[in-house]
Amino acid sequence: MSDGGGENVKEGENNLNHLHSKKSRSRADDFGLSIAKVAVAQICEAAGFQGFQRTALDTLSDVAVRHILEIGKTGNMFANLAGRSQSNVFDIIQGLEDLGSIQGFSGASDVHHCLLGSGTVREMVRYVGEAEEIPFAYSLPGFPVLKEREPGRTFEQTGGSPPAEHIPPWLPVFPDPETYVNLHKIDEKMAQIWEDEVGGPVEKRRELDKTFANLQQRMACNGTQPSVEVDFGNEAKEKGLVERNPFLTPPLQHGEKEVSLVLPPAKLSDEVFLQSANLEVPVSHISAMETFAPGIEAVKSGTFDFEDGRKKVPLNGRPNVRFKLGGGKRCLRVAISSQNQGIDKNSTWFGNDDGMDDKKRRVEQILKPSYESAGTDSLVN
Amino acid sequence: MNATSQQQGQGQQQHPNIEGRHDDDAALSEFLASLMDYTPTIPDELVEHYLAKSGFQCPDVRLVRLVAVATQKFIADVATDALQQCKARQSAVIKDKREKQQKDKRLILTMEDLSRALHEHGVNVKHQEYFADSPSAGLDPVSRDE
Repeated sequence: MSDGGGENVKEGENNLNHLHSKKSRSRADDFGLSIAKVAVAQICEAAGFQGFQRTALDTLSDVAVRHILEIGKTGNMFANLAGRSQSNVFDIIQGLEDLGSIQGFSGASDVHHCLLGSGTVREMVRYVGEAEEIPFAYSLPGFPVLKEREPGRTFEQTGGSPPAEHIPPWLPVFPDPETYVNLHKIDEKMAQIWEDEVGGPVEKRRELDKTFANLQQRMACNGTQPSVEVDFGNEAKEKGLVERNPFLTPPLQHGEKEVSLVLPPAKLSDEVFLQSANLEVPVSHISAMETFAPGIEAVKSGTFDFEDGRKKVPLNGRPNVRFKLGGGKRCLRVAISSQNQGIDKNSTWFGNDDGMDDKKRRVEQILKPSYESAGTDSLVN
Repeated sequence: MNATSQQQGQGQQQHPNIEGRHDDDAALSEFLASLMDYTPTIPDELVEHYLAKSGFQCPDVRLVRLVAVATQKFIADVATDALQQCKARQSAVIKDKREKQQKDKRLILTMEDLSRALHEHGVNVKHQEYFADSPSAGLDPVSRDE
């Protein structure tokens, strides 16, 4: 039982594995294998067989597939040996000689013979001349079918130049600014306040402030929109938690995004208010913004991811979500409460800032008129 | 090519070698051209798929046909050998039992014949004889008791 070469051992082993495999296991190659089975059955029928054992047919078709793979592999190897990447007829003939060396062919002992006159080729010529032509039983589409992927619009394609030098033009374009930016005149005023009173690095806070204000704006405006109030705010108060019918809501303005309204639980809000009044926690502005950072990031990404690992809630018009921002030390109330309880609760926006009362009041004064007008203004400039 | 490099000292034989090469060349190109008329049983799409899978790159359709014909020839050889085995077994059976002549006319490809035929071509296939549901199945009752 000596084997003729490494290839045979591999084929034998793989045949063994194939025989032991269950029929129910579907492999990725099933389509090609089933086509090979049909072709092999046709060849055997032409040879004289009238019936097949199923396992015998499976084995022979597997051997045929491996034969094709082996010719391809050796052809590629001979091409690479010659320093080429594309194979030609001589590579195939050398591969066939390798495979045929087990059975033997005429002229195999002549090592330096020309490949064109190889015994394998002559045998194949003889076979083609003698055997009758048996076309395949079915018509096949080209496979595997490749899915065409649409390339994204690049900067080059749209004709514009990328906004910064470090961005290469072959990258896809950025999304429209209206989809993610919601600048309001509040931002400049707030930044002004921080600069004047607090000093220090404003740049880092500026971006967070803007997004923070966006967050508040969206949630407040969603609450102060007259139609939404009618549907949602009053009814929620009257009937408790009512599921809002998504088909009856008014359409969003251009660029608006639906954000679920957040109602902190009443019990928690009272406790927090008492705590914030009593405790003196030194708060730095940056740390306050940092605690809001997850909320800001969530607004940017469109979902909320709670700190204690609760599941994400997508911000697309769901009913009220109750959640708690921050840890136990400092509970920050989001400005959504302004929807229900007016603007007085603005004082708790920035946490327990006893030393910041002056600035807070100034912020309130500036924000009051803008919030009163927010109900009439649209969200987008 | 290789032939000429090995026969440097024999200048007289170079001419027929060159001519022989030309003949071989012509024969091969004729053969490849004839392949386009002959449709192998193994479809081109299947062969192209598996050649691409193995890393074989060639845009020429004639080479794909060449590989298809080579594989078809291989399978046909194996099938012929298996058929001979099957017929030999049937004739042996008929020899023993002359009453039932040609009881089984159908020629069926079995694993046993196939494994013998493939062994001639270098493929070792081992097939399970039977599957038992317990280690003591089929044993004599005496040994089973022990």
